[in-house]
Amino acid sequence: MECLSHKSEIENTFSSVRMFSFTEKKSPLLDEDKVNSFLDTILDFKNSLNEKSGKINHINERIEKLTWLNDLDEECLMLTNDLISSAKDLHSSLIRQYVSVNYIRKKGIAKDEIKDFKNSIDELKEAYEDLESVFFFLPKIPDFVETTKQLSLV
Amino acid sequence: MEIFCLEDFKVEFEKLSSKKSYNSLEQDIIDYFFNKSFQQLCSGTRLNNSEKTPYIKKRLKGRGRFRFYFLLILKNESIYLMFVHPKTGPMGAENITDESKAYLYKKILECIKSDDLYQLELDETAKKLIFKKAVSANS
Repeated sequence: MECLSHKSEIENTFSSVRMFSFTEKKSPLLDEDKVNSFLDTILDFKNSLNEKSGKINHINERIEKLTWLNDLDEECLMLTNDLISSAKDLHSSLIRQYVSVNYIRKKGIAKDEIKDFKNSIDELKEAYEDLESVFFFLPKIPDFVETTKQLSLV
Repeated sequence: MEIFCLEDFKVEFEKLSSKKSYNSLEQDIIDYFFNKSFQQLCSGTRLNNSEKTPYIKKRLKGRGRFRFYFLLILKNESIYLMFVHPKTGPMGAENITDESKAYLYKKILECIKSDDLYQLELDETAKKLIFKKAVSANS
């Protein structure tokens, strides 16, 4: 009796292995369609990050260019102050986005794109801080103002 | 345009160039500052609201993401490099403070007046910088 039960167990196992082997031979784990869809999703993610970084870099350049405007009046200074506040707000939102995607970078996905995204966010902060320095802080440093006067005589 | 620099700039340049992470600095300086017109160099952040003597902070892309602080004097057709620091890498640093910007600004004026500057030239290969003690930057 015991021998029959052993035989049946072996046959059942054999049958399972045989079926499994046959199925796997027909359908490999790395199904091409699934892999392509996975890679497309990564590519879409990279493209959307690149697009966003480009947009931030463009804003950064526009903020930088404002420092070449001469002798702003009170109204322009007030607008510049509003712009700085808005840029600070934008920076906070973007930093939150960066934190939410950074775990993907740690897994080795879209490393360069996420790094570029972070650099553009850092440069946004630098751009609005510089703008604030140029129009609100440096003109209040007496040595700075005096040097500008003296340089005009050199 | 003739190119001059403060001793501070030379010291910083030598310190950074000796590091592998920043070995692009010399070429970055050559590419960005040499053989350029006054107008071509008027980009970046202007710190001093001056058209004829703009004090500029320039962000360069590339490995070190260097930040350059320099003064242009239209009348002298001269560039005065004041300071450089990288943003990334082992010696990467945050922005310099407004007080440091004011200090460098005052210092370059004093050094221009006293001719206490180095002049930057290219060697015969045009790939290396030569720092020569300036004789008269003001003339």
